[in-house]
Amino acid sequence: MRMDTIIMGGGLSGLICGIALAKRGQRVTIVAGGQSTLMFNGGSMELLGCIDGNNVSNPLEAISILPQSHPYRKIGAERIEALAEEAKQMLADAGINMEGSAAANHWRVTPMGIAKPAWLTLSENLRIDDLGKLPAKRVALMCIRGYFDQPNGMLAQGLRDLGFDVQTIEFTTDDITALRRSPSEMRATSLAKRLLSTTALQRVADQINALTGEADMVLLPSVLGQADDSDIKTLQGMCNKPLRFVATMPPVVAGMRMQTLLRHYFKMLGGNYLTGDTVISGNFEDGKLLNVSTEKLNDMPLRASNFVLATGSFISRGLAANYERVYEPVFDLDVDADADCDQWTRFGILEPQAYFNYGVTTDGSLHCQRQGKTISNLYAIGSVLSGHDAIKMGDGTGISLISALAVARNITGGK
Amino acid sequence: MAERMQICNLSENNFEQCTKCSICTTVCPVAAVTTDYPGPKQAGPDGERYRLKDPAYFDKALKLCLNCKRCEVACPSGVHIADIIQHARMKASEGHRASLRDTMLANTDLLGTVANLVAPIANATLGLKPTKLVMHSVMAIDKNRTFPAYSRQKFTTWFKRHAAKEQDSYPNHVSYFHGCYVNYNFPQLGQDLVKVMNAIGYGVHMLEKEQCCGVALIANGLYKQAKRQANVNTASIRQAAGTNHSTVLTTSSSCTFNLRDEYPAMLDIDNSDIRNNISLATRFIYNLVDEEKVKLVFKQDYKRRIAYHTACHMQRMGWQLYSIELLRMIPGLDLQVLEQECCGISGTYGFKKENYERSQAIGSILFKHIEDAQVEAVATDCETCKWQIEMSTGLPVENPISILADALDVEATRRANGI
Repeated sequence: MRMDTIIMGGGLSGLICGIALAKRGQRVTIVAGGQSTLMFNGGSMELLGCIDGNNVSNPLEAISILPQSHPYRKIGAERIEALAEEAKQMLADAGINMEGSAAANHWRVTPMGIAKPAWLTLSENLRIDDLGKLPAKRVALMCIRGYFDQPNGMLAQGLRDLGFDVQTIEFTTDDITALRRSPSEMRATSLAKRLLSTTALQRVADQINALTGEADMVLLPSVLGQADDSDIKTLQGMCNKPLRFVATMPPVVAGMRMQTLLRHYFKMLGGNYLTGDTVISGNFEDGKLLNVSTEKLNDMPLRASNFVLATGSFISRGLAANYERVYEPVFDLDVDADADCDQWTRFGILEPQAYFNYGVTTDGSLHCQRQGKTISNLYAIGSVLSGHDAIKMGDGTGISLISALAVARNITGGK
Repeated sequence: MAERMQICNLSENNFEQCTKCSICTTVCPVAAVTTDYPGPKQAGPDGERYRLKDPAYFDKALKLCLNCKRCEVACPSGVHIADIIQHARMKASEGHRASLRDTMLANTDLLGTVANLVAPIANATLGLKPTKLVMHSVMAIDKNRTFPAYSRQKFTTWFKRHAAKEQDSYPNHVSYFHGCYVNYNFPQLGQDLVKVMNAIGYGVHMLEKEQCCGVALIANGLYKQAKRQANVNTASIRQAAGTNHSTVLTTSSSCTFNLRDEYPAMLDIDNSDIRNNISLATRFIYNLVDEEKVKLVFKQDYKRRIAYHTACHMQRMGWQLYSIELLRMIPGLDLQVLEQECCGISGTYGFKKENYERSQAIGSILFKHIEDAQVEAVATDCETCKWQIEMSTGLPVENPISILADALDVEATRRANGI
């Protein structure tokens, strides 16, 4: 089977790259081995949040002081603004409505109640533009009885530390109580499926309206809207006070929705999405990748003019390590990683860990290389790229989006 | 050495690789509609730890599992979740006898043989309200279900009378595992396959012995019988592998998945030598066209808008790509590829009274997508999805091979391939 481009990995970067290519008329197949880490995303994208422990207020400006090895610098600092705008528009076209600016970070609130710099946040989520000017004074934090993926005490304390006057209110409805029958599965995603009908939503709204007397704003864990944001809008319309959502611990409904909407958009544009399959090997000749074999289509290799590696980092098995080395498991591409395994980690889980910076070696166009030689039609995007620590810098999702769009342009010869 | 140590630490069903991320539960169609089922993480890898300690920890709720395999497809860590659940069910069923209803539903070929003999009576009787009510109360087969109509003439009978003789005259050859549905209910699909294969220069041959693939036997806990039949089929496919029609084509995704993957995984039958001989017809044909070994010529005036539904087992095999790309070759076909959702029937599951409501609730998302797609028909590679979607949406559902046969200009295709 021959495609214009084959993308390995169906997470944020793979899907965005696939959409960009399909929009330009390419025949694209994404091979996605299981669900991606997008499923853990609470509803924000970050471009650049932090450099050397200092929060960044204008990511576009700050990018120019990043080291040359950082993916943004490889792509070119001057290209980031246009690519960021394209990404925001593409998300909106897929039905993902987010707010924010690449030139001015806002603050998102984590499930633990910590404010972190962000570039884009889902419209319905709590978003703070200026920590000195909170969007509300008194907030009612609604806590769903029996739901355990929201550490309410920590969240409330975190919000108080930010300056909110917080009242925590426990509530339930008949629909929610029914879920407690299977307590181990009382998760955000089960709640989202349970609270689909207008009557179920009305019962939630009745509780909110009855219990939140003095509050200026109501906060609810993000447990609605697995398919799209219509349930969220319905509930907001039913409540007497402004209703905002706060991210939950995984599994995350907002992340699932983003994954589903992007995949749907990609398929609508004619793209093929192979779920639960994995590329296992490829044939190289004269510095080019000719075809790849997957676990399930093993005796019929997939051919393409270009290939994109979007397999993610260690957690997604885009990178792997044994007792001897860090390696890229599909093609054994060259990686940027310390040879000495004593350097990989440092004691203390919250310390900066060297292995977070590891990834495949790429050139300025994000071409991969193998045994020191550049592969002219194989690109890497997203978390498999080296040269940054997404946890410490708050740039993971941004790199996924920006590198995906940059490579799509490299492939189609656009600017 | 280091690599091997890591691999050796895994048990056969690799449940240790579960990271408890719960993604499997988010895609489980059963957990989505009922709190009675604890979800694949709990039923699979989590419960397995307890069952290893003491089999008494087996939870009867595991019988609610559809075996749709969506959990395995979604798992980022490659855990064989559905296999763990099925094995636990298999172990718990040892010493228990399947009910008459389950035995009857599972024996699709026995039921078919009898029903074919009396097809007009069977079809009329099975459709009558009193019959349905008796089946509902006595047999616990839901009264809302319509049994697929039985054909008066078996596919194999038609083949012997009308097609078998000329098959040797073609330059190339394949075998065909028709399955129960084609043989007893819908011989037209088998005839369509013969028509298409002949047009591209391939003679079609039956296997020496074909029995029901056993997918329903496994689902209903009749493992011994499933294994007997699986051994017969595997031997027949092995026999065909040594002839000039060594590739065995299928037109049902569930039969294919069962023959290739469930035989080794569930019934412990080693089919590694012939597994790659078994191919869905759409995959085989797509590849012939792709490698420019054959040409397809389509009717000029063909024009239809059709939605493609990926059956759960099709997705597990990962072969939907071939059916979709083959259909996309038809110039007049406006193909809408639906988001993958479970239709809820899962073979015989939805026929059972206790599962009917759940089955329809599971399918409701898919039915809504189909309605929104505004199409005149639905294409899918699975016959039980077909029954479910036809009953629930009122739209006709066709196998991609039948659509291909309909769109093909047979004479022009024969000429283009020198036949």
